[in-house]
Parts: sequence; C-alpha cells; structure tokens
Amino acid sequence: MSRSDDSVLFTYIAPFLGVLLVAVGIAAAVPATYDVIQDDITTCGTPTIAVDSPEETTARFGEDPRPNLTRFAYEDLSEAEQEAFRDALDDAVGESRVDGEFPHYGAFLNGSLVTYEGERHYTTVVAENPCFVAAPLQLPLGVFAIALGGIGILTPPAYRKLVALEEGAE
Amino acid sequence: MTSRALVEMAALALVVFSVGALWVRLRREKTIESDGGATIQESISAELGRFQRQLLRILTTTDHREIGILYILFGTLAGVWGGIDAMMLRTELLTPPADIWTPETYNALFTTHGLTMLIFFVLPVFFGIANYFIPLLIGADDMAFPRVNAIGFWLLPPALLLVRMGLFVQVGGQFLGLFSPEETIRFFLSLREVGVGWTLYAPLSVQSQNPQLDLLLLGLHLSGISTTVGALNFIVTIVHERGENVTWANLDIFSWNILVTSGLALFAFPLLGSALVMLLLDRNFGTTFFAVEGGGAILWQHLFWFWGHPEVYILFLPATGLMSTILPKFVGRKLFGYRFIVYSTLGLGVLSFGVWAHHMFVTGVDPRIKASFMAVSIAIAVPSAIKVFNWLATMWEGDIRMSAPFMLCAGSISTFIIGGVTGVFLAVIPVDILYHGTYYVVGHFHLIVVGIIPFMMVAASYYWYPLMTGRWYDTRLAKFQAVLMIVGSLVTFMTLLIIGGVGLPRRQAIYPPEYQFANQIATVGAYVIGLSVLLWLYNVVVSYWRGAPVETTDPWNLKATRQFTKEWQWFESRMVAQYGLSPATPSSVRRSFDPSAEPEGLAGGVGSVIQDVSRKASAAAIGGIVGTLLMTGGLGTAVFIDVLDPASFGEIAELVGLPASPVLGSLLFLVGGTVTWPLLFLAFREFLPGRLLFERGLVFSTLIWTGFVVAFYTGQQGLGLVGYLAFGLVAHWSYGLGLTVTFQYLRSRQRAALGGGE
Repeated sequence: MSRSDDSVLFTYIAPFLGVLLVAVGIAAAVPATYDVIQDDITTCGTPTIAVDSPEETTARFGEDPRPNLTRFAYEDLSEAEQEAFRDALDDAVGESRVDGEFPHYGAFLNGSLVTYEGERHYTTVVAENPCFVAAPLQLPLGVFAIALGGIGILTPPAYRKLVALEEGAE
Repeated sequence: MTSRALVEMAALALVVFSVGALWVRLRREKTIESDGGATIQESISAELGRFQRQLLRILTTTDHREIGILYILFGTLAGVWGGIDAMMLRTELLTPPADIWTPETYNALFTTHGLTMLIFFVLPVFFGIANYFIPLLIGADDMAFPRVNAIGFWLLPPALLLVRMGLFVQVGGQFLGLFSPEETIRFFLSLREVGVGWTLYAPLSVQSQNPQLDLLLLGLHLSGISTTVGALNFIVTIVHERGENVTWANLDIFSWNILVTSGLALFAFPLLGSALVMLLLDRNFGTTFFAVEGGGAILWQHLFWFWGHPEVYILFLPATGLMSTILPKFVGRKLFGYRFIVYSTLGLGVLSFGVWAHHMFVTGVDPRIKASFMAVSIAIAVPSAIKVFNWLATMWEGDIRMSAPFMLCAGSISTFIIGGVTGVFLAVIPVDILYHGTYYVVGHFHLIVVGIIPFMMVAASYYWYPLMTGRWYDTRLAKFQAVLMIVGSLVTFMTLLIIGGVGLPRRQAIYPPEYQFANQIATVGAYVIGLSVLLWLYNVVVSYWRGAPVETTDPWNLKATRQFTKEWQWFESRMVAQYGLSPATPSSVRRSFDPSAEPEGLAGGVGSVIQDVSRKASAAAIGGIVGTLLMTGGLGTAVFIDVLDPASFGEIAELVGLPASPVLGSLLFLVGGTVTWPLLFLAFREFLPGRLLFERGLVFSTLIWTGFVVAFYTGQQGLGLVGYLAFGLVAHWSYGLGLTVTFQYLRSRQRAALGGGE
C-alpha cells in the first residue's frame, strides 16, 4: 500500500478540483432551484406602489402639477391596480403590492396622478420586486457539477481502493 | 423575508442535525452492545438516566476544561450560523438585481452576519481555548473564579437568542400562519431580523420601528457582561494563579495575549454597554443622546468605535498568540524575539484605543483631529509588522514540518500581510475618503478577520486535538482542508479588494452588471471557505470516535526541539498515569521519506501465452461492456437535458454505410466500446502516461474524448457547449475507469483462482 500515499493528483488535486466544482455547482444550482420554487415562496413579480395622500400630493407639486405627469381616474385602473391603490391608502406607510394585471406599470414607474373620490393622489412604483430568471441549463449543469465535485472529493479513498485492487491483481 | 427566514432556519437545522446524527451514529458504533437482541426498557431507562446526569453535569460544571469546551461548541455553532448568513448574502450577489433575496433581507443578512461573527463566534471560541489551556500553560489548577467562569459562559446562549430572536419569531409566525389568521399573529410577523448594519448607526437605529432591535441591544448588553466577567477572570488567573516557576519573563506568549486582550475587554465592553443603554433609552424613553438636539448622531459613532476598534484587537490578539505558540513547534525553532512580541502586543493594546476616529474620516470631525488619528493609525502598523517579522524570522532556516497547523500559520501570515498593508492605505485620510464604504474595506478587514482568526482557531484545533481527545485527526484531510480555506479566502477577499478598488460600494443588494463576474468569483470562493469549514467539522467529529489513538506522550515530537511546553507536560503525566505509557524519548532524526515503489508491469505471467491472451481479451471485452454501459448513463443524461443531439449517432451509422438511424448508431457505438477501444487500449497501454492501469485508462479515455467531441458536435453554444464537453468527458472517464477496473478485478480473481494471490 505504499504507493497509495504517492499520488498528489488523486490525493490533493482531484479533491481540490472537486471542491471547486461543488462550489461552482452550488453557485449555479441554488439560484436555479430558487428560480423554480420562487413563485410558491415569494411575492416576486408584484411591484410595490406608493400612494401619497392629497395633502402630500399638494405639498409635492403645489396646486398645479406639471402637465407632463400622467393622470388617471381611479376607474381607469385595472382591478389589481385599484385594489393595491386602496390597500396603499389604508397602509401605515402608504405602500402596497400590485398582485395581478398591471397595465399602467410604465406610467406608474415615472409617477402618475390618480384621482380618487375627487382628490388627487401621487402614485408611483417604489419597488419592482423582480423575479430571478435562471438559464434553462443552469440547474442540470449545477447539479451535475455538484455530483462530479462530490466524486472528486471522494477520490482519495476511491484511489486507495483502486490501488489495493491493482496490487491484488499483480 | 419569508423565504429567507425559512431557508436560514432550515440550513442551520440541517448542519446541526447532520453533526448530531453523525455523532450519535459514531457513538453507537463504538458502544458495546449486549447480546440480548432487541432494546429493552431497562436499557432505555439507563440511557435516559445517563443523559440526565450528563446534562446536569454540563449545566453545573465549573471545571475550566469543560467550560472551555462549552465555549468552543457555542462559538462553533454561532460561527456556522453566521457563516450561513454569509453564504446567503454571497448567493444574493451572484446576480446584479436583488432577485434572490430582497434588499431588506440582504440588509438583515449582513447585519446579523457581522454581529454573530464578531460577538458570538470569535471571542467565545478564543475564551474557550483560553479557558482550556491557560491553567495548563501557567501551571494552575483551575481558573481563579470557577463559578464566575461558568456564569460568564451561561450568559452567552440567552444573549445570542435575544440577538437573533427575530428569526425564530418570524419562522414561528409563519408556522402559526398556517393555522391562524394574520390578525391574531401580527406580533410574530412584526418582529424580524434587524437590517441597520452591525454598527447600529444612529439615527437609523433610533428610528427603526422593528422591535427586534430592542431585543438585539439587550442581547448585546448581556454578551458584554459575559465578556467582562470572563476577562476579569483571565486577568486574575494569569496574575495570581501562576505556578511557582512561571514568571512574567517566561510566561507563554498565548497567556500574554489573553492577558492583554482581557485588559482591552475590561475597558472597552463597559463602554459599549453604556452606549447600548443610551440607545435603548433614546428608542424607548425619548431621551436625546443621539438626536440632533442632544449629542447628535456622531456621538454614537464616537462611543461605538471607541469600543469597536479595540474590539478588532480583542479578536485579533488571541489569534496572534496562537500563531506565536503554534508556528515555532512546526519549524523546529523557538519563537524569535519573544520579548519584542510581548512588547508589540502591549503596544497594540494601548494604541488600539487611540485610533477609533479613523472609522469617521468621512464625518464632520475637525480635520486637525483627523490628522492626529491618521498618524496613530499608521503607527499601529509598526507593532503589527514586528510580529510578522518575528514570525518570518522564526521560520527562517527552520526545519519545517508540512502539517495542517503549519500550512494554516503560513497562510495566515500571507493573508495578514495583504490585509495589513491594505489597512495602512485606509489609515490615510485621502485614500480612506476614496475607498470608504466600498468593497475595498470589506476585502481588507476580511483578509484579517478571516485570514488569521479562524485560520488560527483551526490550526489550534489540529495542534491540540491529540491533547484534548487522545486521538489523531485525519491529517491528510486536514491538509486538504487547510489549503481549501487559504485558497478560498484569497480568492474571495482579493476579489473584493479589486472590485472595491475600482469603486463598487458595499452594503448594496443591487449592483451594476459589469461587476457580476467578479462577484460570482467571490461567491464561489466563499462557498469554498464554507465547504472547508464543513470538512473541518466532519474531521473533528469523526476523528473523535474513529481517529487513531495517540500512543505517545509527545505526539508532535516537541522534546526534540525543547518545546515540550507545560500543557504537553500535563498531557504526558496524564497518559503515564492513565495508560501506563512511558514518557517519550526525544529523537533528533526525522522520519525518512519512503520512496515510491517502482511501477510494476502488467504481464501476469500465469499460464500459457494463449491462455493469457484469451483471458486478457475476454476480460477487456467485459470491461468494455461495463465501461460502455457506465458511459451510457452520462451520455443519456446529456441527451435528456438537451446538450447532446441523438441525431449525431445517426451520422456515425452513415459513416459505415448504414442508414442514418440513431438506434443503429448507438449499437455501433456499443460495439466500438466493447471491441475496438479495449483492444486499442491493450495495444497502446504501455505507451500511455500513468503508473497504474486505471490511471492509463483515464488518460486513454480523455484522448478518445477529444475525437468524440469533434465527431458528435452539433453546433452547441454557451452553457450547452459547456454541458456537452463536461458530460462527454465524464462519460469517457466512466468508460476508462469501468474498462480498467473491471479488467483488474477479473485479473485479481483469476490469480486467486489459480492460487497466485500471494
């Protein structure tokens, strides 16, 4: 068995490369797995809007807001937008997520004025809350790298067994 | 936050459960079972009784070695927990947008990572090592105040729980949310981990409405009391409990460092406690210590860093003490410049209180004051450099023993030099203004706090493992783990230095896309560090049960270099008393290296030539089938995930005049793998590099893989190409290994059958 101690390649380099592979694999597989399950465990894809009170809106723009500011009536908003708008009005910090169809996203991103019950409210997107998008091959290749890295890490004992086998065959 | 809390709890539970399960399994393997068959009630009762006695003993022990181990276990758990935070925040930085965790979660992660590592990981582990070894090193029976020592430790678990309560409450709330409406569990959902940064800067920390922040402040306060109590105990122990022949002039260097560290803690931590109470009062009782109308937000920074910078040295000095203790043992030379090392330690202790304002160069502190702090901050490099030069001088022309502790020492010196030199730049006001708040700062301090503190902890765990457990750890695995830790740290933190140097701000979940690749490299490096820590954990847990028993009273052959220090003398007396071993005799001759055996030939030489050839041919064919079947697994998976086009097998059939059918092509592939390639291998094996047959098989299969890559390529790009190459290579390695291992297995059986197994 003296030869089993001799191989730097199989005792140190192979497991070292194995650990690197596992690390790369984790870097690829963990986010990719997250991509698969994020719809179930997070609320990504639902941007957060902030709605100012009429007083805050007036303080921000004065009585005569800039003409280039997009204006909507509350009734023009989609159902999800309306719901988020109402929730934001009730919320302590005036924010809520839009969970559903968001046709006025572009206008809200730049800030808009929404007239609700005769009063103007400055409304804007404050967080996009994007979903993570992984490349299609990221998960299988990541898992493969972890598995291959695991084999690399287990190389030293496997090597010693192979050496023993080889010595038995001689 | 929802997913983060669950993920973090699950990861922590997984590590703890895995270690626990491993421990129980190994213990059960070592327990002598009665031959009574099934477990009976009496044995369960006996086991429970034993568990109760053990638990009571652990909870009430005042023995310095047991409390030391409790400290180390606690610190290790906290380190793993803080490490999970680090892995999670590095995971978020794999991509430029905040799309894995939210920015709020990211803020919580770097806050809890910093606090857990600095307060609950480093100092408890060092206090644990000091508790275990200082009485042994100075010839004392125990610590000066054993009960105070126990109290000092038992304040820590509730402190950690308070600091990290948010995670438990949040996960509990999510669990309750499965059964209860949100309104009734609102309290549980309102408490969450704090995200104001570990420096808790006012006014953010005053105005934050998260009630967990109050619990965190109370927990930190409790930990500060624990540290102060522990520090007092160390000071009194070292001053008053030394053995008769232990003087200040020959006091070991680790005890010196713990003495100075304890002195720093004694002055620094009460101040932190006061500042924390002031912050609590500001938050809850409307005082204005840190409000504009009171002391202002800068007052918090002054108070915080007056504790915070000495704290850096409180964490760092014990590590240098370990370095000065361990390094000489593995280079066969005594520590160079003992006296100057002691002076530099004292110098660092004093100067560490005079540099706090270099953390505040970008605030409105008077420029003249800043300049004086700059001078002191640069000056503090001098005692640090004295240590480095003394370590290098100790190694100079030494008889280096390439063990894991030495490798970690050498790695630490290199990372400390890089971390230290980059710190000198930061001490200069104009440079600091440029780099303040960038990853450069993160890279700088991590090269020190990771590059020497955990390195030395791990080195100490290896160095004293035989003394603490009476067994050897897996030395080969330890060397491997040491290299991983060093390489992982250099890759991670050097990358951070670079991206910080070009201006990337830290503490941002979202960053410009051009930094993505660098961040990915840093993250992979961080994972390597994480894996190395798991390997260390595995090694120390498994070796406790399976490691080779220590059969000498001088495991490191320290007598040969006259470095058989007091703790090893204690170990020797114990081994002599308990196991009747004779004290080891020093040997001045190192064990010679065993040269490798000459490669042995393949020819078996058993039976006639025809028999030999036919046996080899049939064995090669069987090996070829096994190899090809193994290969099919890899190639099949490649086809399944769409990185290998099955149509390319049809082209192979076309080449020999058959219809372009993938099935026919696959059959041809099988025939080639069974007949052609094994015969080619047998013909050329003598000319392939490698000493053993399977090594040559791997080389052979790698060569034929290059042909495969060209022949079966169907325009894959990007990740598809990576997958095609990787799956093809691994599949071919499977083939090479399957072919040669089967071949050798059959040969060994034939030899055994022919009676040639001698």
